[in-house]
Amino acid sequence: MGLHSYFGGATIQTLKMAAVPASASYSRFVFSPISRNLVALDSFPRHSPSPPFPLLARALSMAAAVQTTPPSSEDIGTATGSVGKPQWKAAIDFKWIRDNREAVAENIRKRKSKASLELVLELYEKMLAVQKEVERLRGERNAVANMMKGKLEPSERQKFIEKGKNLKEALASFEEDLVKLSDELQQEAQSIPNMTHPDVPIGGEDSSAVRKKVGSPREFSFSVKDHLQLGKELDLFDFDAAAEVSGSKFYYLKNEAVLLEMALVNWTLSQVMQKGFTPLITPEIVRSSIVEKCGFQPRGDNTQVYSIEGSDQCLIGTAEIPVGGVHMDSILAETVLPLKYAAFSHCFRTEAGAAGLATRGLYRVHQFSKVEMFVLCRPDESDTYHEELITIEEDLFSSLGLHYKTLDMASEDLGAPAYRKFDVEAWMPGLGRYGEISSASNCTDYQSRRLGIRYRPAELAASTNPKKGGKGNLAPTKFVHTLNATACAVPRMMICLLENNQQEDGSVIIPEPLRPFMGGMEVLLAKHHTG
Amino acid sequence: MMKGKLEPSERLKFIEKVLNHSASGKNLKEALASFEEDLVKLSDELQQEAQSIPNMTHPDVPIGGEDSSAVRKKVGSPREFSFSVKDHLQLGKELDLFDFDAAAEVSGSKFYYLKNEAVLLEMALVNWTLSQVMQKGFTPLITPEIVRSSIVEKCGFQPRGDNTQAYSIEGSDQCLIGTAEIPVGGVHMDSILAETVLPLKYAAFSHCFRTEAGAAGLATRGLYRVHQFSKVEMFVLCRPDESDTYHEELITIEEDLFSSLGLHYKTLDMASEDLGAPAYRKFDVEAWMPGLGRYGEISSASNCTDYQSRRLGIRYRPAELAASTNPKKGGKGNLAPTKFVHTLNATACAVPRMMICLLENNQQEDGSVIIPEPLRPFMGGMEVILPKHHTG
Repeated sequence: MGLHSYFGGATIQTLKMAAVPASASYSRFVFSPISRNLVALDSFPRHSPSPPFPLLARALSMAAAVQTTPPSSEDIGTATGSVGKPQWKAAIDFKWIRDNREAVAENIRKRKSKASLELVLELYEKMLAVQKEVERLRGERNAVANMMKGKLEPSERQKFIEKGKNLKEALASFEEDLVKLSDELQQEAQSIPNMTHPDVPIGGEDSSAVRKKVGSPREFSFSVKDHLQLGKELDLFDFDAAAEVSGSKFYYLKNEAVLLEMALVNWTLSQVMQKGFTPLITPEIVRSSIVEKCGFQPRGDNTQVYSIEGSDQCLIGTAEIPVGGVHMDSILAETVLPLKYAAFSHCFRTEAGAAGLATRGLYRVHQFSKVEMFVLCRPDESDTYHEELITIEEDLFSSLGLHYKTLDMASEDLGAPAYRKFDVEAWMPGLGRYGEISSASNCTDYQSRRLGIRYRPAELAASTNPKKGGKGNLAPTKFVHTLNATACAVPRMMICLLENNQQEDGSVIIPEPLRPFMGGMEVLLAKHHTG
Repeated sequence: MMKGKLEPSERLKFIEKVLNHSASGKNLKEALASFEEDLVKLSDELQQEAQSIPNMTHPDVPIGGEDSSAVRKKVGSPREFSFSVKDHLQLGKELDLFDFDAAAEVSGSKFYYLKNEAVLLEMALVNWTLSQVMQKGFTPLITPEIVRSSIVEKCGFQPRGDNTQAYSIEGSDQCLIGTAEIPVGGVHMDSILAETVLPLKYAAFSHCFRTEAGAAGLATRGLYRVHQFSKVEMFVLCRPDESDTYHEELITIEEDLFSSLGLHYKTLDMASEDLGAPAYRKFDVEAWMPGLGRYGEISSASNCTDYQSRRLGIRYRPAELAASTNPKKGGKGNLAPTKFVHTLNATACAVPRMMICLLENNQQEDGSVIIPEPLRPFMGGMEVILPKHHTG
């Protein structure tokens, strides 16, 4: 299954430095090994010391801040868009919705969702009625067919032929209605947001509850620079060239920023691999139906999604999408659960509709690197894994010395797929406020019903009445629960690290955990510009 | 015209022209507008046609098609196996490194997920390569992967041609890059650089996206030809008199990288029909891929001289030679006229092709794969990828 990594106890002090060739004045960067001691448990016995990895002198770090914008309540997956037949169907439990209409209506209200429950229920009832009629007509048609097999007087036979013909026409008509109703029902029902965890605060963004607060804003004895100014002085970014080449909200990372991005990604991957997550690198172009099945709307008005011209493909805004697709239309054995993935990808977002929000610098960009955790598990375990994911995130951010608060997002801010969502906001002194650096959602069976991801529960005990042959002893399948959580969104992390760790002389201290991934570099120094 | 000094014969000719169009000033204005319109049309047509003219060719370039390419260098020889060789797809399956099937469902053919040690291997290849070329003075960059299509054109690619390699973004003039050469080429576009900053040497890491339209029938199995991959690309801007030298430097860097990883390869001096319009000279490196049973291209190093810089508008101003003895008063009297830089690009590491080489060449009889020494520190000291016990 996954690659389990073992992190040896070697510290920087005990690691041997590799011989580094004398570097020319401008070749100041030597790259350090990215991942330490990533070893499959069965190939490296624990008792032998992990081979020291040679540290090269100052490595360039690549830092890309990654932002995770949770799907807004408008980003509701619908298969059809504005017209046409749905290309895929979510396995929505209409009966459950009907039987729990009060709870569903209450949920829609507290999320301020635009879903129309009344219409869904109406369509469902109609559909059931038509279905019943179809079944009745089929029964009659079969009866007629059976009659035709036997001996009949010519006049009787003629009557039956007539009847059969009429039935066939009526059936065709009702079946057509059934298809239409079914499609319409599907389209409306897909808008119904996921149910909500009972502890979720009710209301808008001001109602979100603070679950945890770690650290406090650093007090500066000098005037604080924002990451853009630091980046300029340290020659880390180029937004101007990118505006010419690509457009606004694009950027080049340069020099140590490159090392910082690589260090953040590699360190994060190694950390979560140690916790049993299987690393993945994913496609960044996917079919738009996959995007919809995850609960996003690729072709809506303010869509976050870039579409590829001349195809049904689009660019991913998060690795959640291609990872969600890995097991789509599958039945997993219960024994493989939980499946825990740590996926590294670039993410592309149009940020349409984000005008007026903080758009300066790295805070809101069209392309960025991100490590995303994704879990598929049994329904009874998803709350537990949600806690595990947020704890992993908090440990990562604490390790990097960030000051942050974890929020239990309020009902109007969840996004349709999330049953419950925890956002982490970190202190960004240059911005003078907290900024979101990660999001952890429990989507329960919202995505799995759309992606078609089921599992087959294991047998409890041998049945005392084994049926002969067939699938007699197989338990019926259930939908898995899926969860996703940002382990590292590089640009936002970069903002935090640069702004919080700046020194009066304009240099920036590199957090300890990242130093081995940057060749031991401890500080980004202001450099002498040559041109 | 009439205001200035004219030879009598010129003046006469001009008057004739005016008279031929009528004696009034209004007609002169119309004639002018008409000719100016012609000028614009001709200029555009000239530009369009002239852009198709390929770059000149280095005198040492062999003339002919792909069979005429010359072997500049050969390093190593094909490994002899005492057991039957598996290709990278089979190795990947047994070692649980790739998933092409899930990607075909999610994205389409020629897409893939990397899993487990393959993720570490990609990160190690990228990180090691960057560190190696940084030591040689290259400035590392991470670039945008969405660019305006005009930049793609200026680099010598055709984003909207029939068999275009470029993915276009719906509803915009943007497209996805097929190589970091494009966004790096754009960094200094429409600029005049001081000679003292040259050479500018960049090592850019990016994902690359290629439609591979028109590639049907070629080896398309597995990682050999894919729509998305990671690459570290070297890009140099230099003075014209230095580009041959930097071309040699770039190919040497590539060869050192590949030798360090233990690859068996040959470097080809590409023949005239295989250069591609921008390249004055092109060296390709083909490495032995035992699973494929042939050599496969793993890198390309091109000297584009001023082909790209004339399109991207990248000039430099030569430094003063000596103080002039006749300084003109004021203005730009002492500035040397600008010249176009030369640009070069070379693949330092194209991850999927490298992965094919490493997996297929380093496989052991038991199905494990040895990791080349230089990469081990970047994989936590891991020395070998072992077959694992599958749990499901």
